Amino acid sequence: MSQFCQGLGGLLLVLIFAAKGAGAAEIVATVVDDDGEAIRHAVIHAEPAAGAAPNGAPTETVIDQIDKLYTPFVSVVRAGTRIRFPNRDNIKHHVYSFSRAKKFELPLYAGRAAAPVLFDKPGEVTMGCNIHDWMIAHVLVVDTPHFAVTGDDGQARLGGLPPGDYRVRVWHPGMKGKRKAKPQVVRLGDGNAELRFEIRLKSRHKWWREKPDDADERYERNDG
Amino acid sequence: MRLFPRFRSFKARILCYFLGLLLAVQVVAFLAVDFANSRNAQAQIHDDLVVASRVFGRLIENRSQRLVEAARLLSGDFAFKAAFASQDVATIRSALRNHQSRIKADAFMLFSPDGEPIAAAGAGELAAAGDDLADLIELADDSDDGEAAAIAPLAGVPHQWVVVPLLAPLPVAWITIGFRLDDELADALRDLTLTEVTILDPGDEAQVIYASTLPKAMRSDLPGILAAGGWRANESFLARFGADDFVTLVTPLGNGGAAEAGVNVAVLQRSLDAALAPYHRLRLTLLLLTAVALTISLLIAQPIVGSVTNPVLRLAAAARRVRQGDYSGQVNIEQADEIGELSAAFNDMTKGLAERDQVRDLLGKVVDPAVAEELLSHEVELGGEEREVTILFSDIRGFTAISERQSPQQLVGLLNAYLTRMSAAIEGESGVVDKYIGDAVMALFGAPLAHGDDPARAVRAALVMGRALVEVNRDFAERGLPAVGMGVGINTATVVAGNMGSESRLNYTVIGDGVNLASRIEGLTRVYGVPVIVCEATRAAAAGFEFLELDRVRVKGKQNVERIFMPLDGAAMGGDLRLRHDDALSAYRERAWDVAAETFTALRRENPDLAELYDLYLQRIAEYRRTPPPPDWDGAASYDKK
Repeated sequence: MSQFCQGLGGLLLVLIFAAKGAGAAEIVATVVDDDGEAIRHAVIHAEPAAGAAPNGAPTETVIDQIDKLYTPFVSVVRAGTRIRFPNRDNIKHHVYSFSRAKKFELPLYAGRAAAPVLFDKPGEVTMGCNIHDWMIAHVLVVDTPHFAVTGDDGQARLGGLPPGDYRVRVWHPGMKGKRKAKPQVVRLGDGNAELRFEIRLKSRHKWWREKPDDADERYERNDG
Repeated sequence: MRLFPRFRSFKARILCYFLGLLLAVQVVAFLAVDFANSRNAQAQIHDDLVVASRVFGRLIENRSQRLVEAARLLSGDFAFKAAFASQDVATIRSALRNHQSRIKADAFMLFSPDGEPIAAAGAGELAAAGDDLADLIELADDSDDGEAAAIAPLAGVPHQWVVVPLLAPLPVAWITIGFRLDDELADALRDLTLTEVTILDPGDEAQVIYASTLPKAMRSDLPGILAAGGWRANESFLARFGADDFVTLVTPLGNGGAAEAGVNVAVLQRSLDAALAPYHRLRLTLLLLTAVALTISLLIAQPIVGSVTNPVLRLAAAARRVRQGDYSGQVNIEQADEIGELSAAFNDMTKGLAERDQVRDLLGKVVDPAVAEELLSHEVELGGEEREVTILFSDIRGFTAISERQSPQQLVGLLNAYLTRMSAAIEGESGVVDKYIGDAVMALFGAPLAHGDDPARAVRAALVMGRALVEVNRDFAERGLPAVGMGVGINTATVVAGNMGSESRLNYTVIGDGVNLASRIEGLTRVYGVPVIVCEATRAAAAGFEFLELDRVRVKGKQNVERIFMPLDGAAMGGDLRLRHDDALSAYRERAWDVAAETFTALRRENPDLAELYDLYLQRIAEYRRTPPPPDWDGAASYDKK
């Protein structure tokens, strides 16, 4: 049902954009597992089949620490992006990562004090908090500015793409067979390209930590 | 076929059966107790082993827990994460060693997420680790939290393993920690559970013993026993090691879900014999008790049985005495039980027998003992029989003269003294005193029993009576009493003998002419002045005696002439006396008065004892001289009155 609506919405958007002007087509990718269930937190990134992606100015993005959780869980940035890790909690966090693509740590700080961290190498970065074992965030560093993360519907839209051929890849922190994942090549013309990726995920604990129930301190009063 | 042995002694039999029963009961009790004890011990040990296996499982679990916790600490250790991230194997190894010494593990390793060994605290461990622990890693990989615990060998040595992921922040490697399962562990476990512990792999082809508290000799037997036994997990069974029985429990060691083929087991054992040792002591005590009980029973049984057998023997002895006629002994058994009853009944019986004997005696006194015996031995018959009997009558003379001066008691006493003597004489010749008629005695010889020489016996008896009379007179003389005389008449004839009288009162006697004749003859003794007169029949039948013919008589009521004789006692008369006497009688009967008179006178002079006889004849001769007898006179004297 939602797919139908989405399809309709997409069509509408296409029409709108078509009305607006030519040149801005979208790649709409849907990521599902082998049961057909929508997969959230999947990254879709596309690069032109020929040539390199256009360079862009370095940007900065944010991964928040709220309620002892990283938000968003999965981010994707272009290599050269700085990520800031503001601490919005009233307790300190100690961000760290031992990933090959980026090793860093922001030991025990609060607030926004920490300087943003430069992610300059493409690759997967997994970060955790040294104090809170369940705080996990994934960042995929890519070479292209065209990327998006699927939401609950499993859909990601890559917009503002000039027409041409693109290689579109899917990535998920818990994806099985990451290395073997083949890109889908799509020709983008006037209209949107719709892609569907089917992936299989490893067991959850390999890429996710459940926050314990008593992680948030609650002081219960005896009222009665 | 005799099931039970014969006993000659009641005592022995009772003792045997009684004690045999006691013994049997003891043996049965003994066996029952033994069996129950063994079963109880086994059940007890089984329970203990079950507990031990739980303790054991818990111990292993606790160790696992400890390992896991230690491992988790490491997996959260930031410095270690950093060391790992550095990918410097030496650093990693030293960090591993550091942690290993902290928790005193035997093996400490790091595996890649693919299961490839990365580093190990001990140098030699890595080589085999990859293959040995592949299953373990897979186990961890498959689990929800990335943790696993198992028992698996490393280079042949079994270890208790835990695997935890190294989180940085997601699993980047497997931290693998192992504790050796060796004899030391088994010993520690034995100290805790007090059972023999063996950890082994009961594989189908080969059983491998990893650790054991059993001595070497028994260790090698164990796999064989397990293979043969067909054991089931957590069910105890008896295994025999040499001479000892061990209650054995096999419990699988939790492998956290490892494949069944590689299940290791712990074999917990406890010696049944050791557990039964106190029961064996009890057994000895029971044996002792049995022996004591038997002895005491023996001692107690003796008097108890004696209380039966002794009285019985006494009664038997008394019975024997009664058999011999001694009714005097009463058996006094003062027991209130059946034996006492028997004794009382016996005494009553003895009294009864004594009374009966008394009756018999009395009967024998009232009736002649031979007659009494005859009466008692046969059915009493009223009928009679004809038989030849020698009848003896005796009479006392001059008794009246005495009787006038005596009191009745004295009189009876004197009479009885006389009669006793005469009866003794009669009975001494097997005669039967028929009756006493006042002071007269009627006796029978040859009835109810014949002796073949009854006439002779009668004559002998008469002679004895004569001698007895002398004694009687001597007694009388001592008392100042006048002498008495006696006359005896004997006849032998066929008479009717039998119990005469009514059914309630009988008299064994004889009737017939011969009886009367004997009585008349007896009366004639007065006439002829001789003590004994026998009839011809008697004289003819009585052998061994010399007789003197006295006369020919015709008694009242009889036509026939009877010759009467007098027995000669001993050599009272010389041989020629009889000749001359007979000649004289012949002369008298031929009416040769002078010759007769002359001979009689001479005889009278020579034999003063026969004075009365010869006087009689001389008197008759004088009479006949004056008044000659009629021509048909046959020389017999007639006595018409009694």
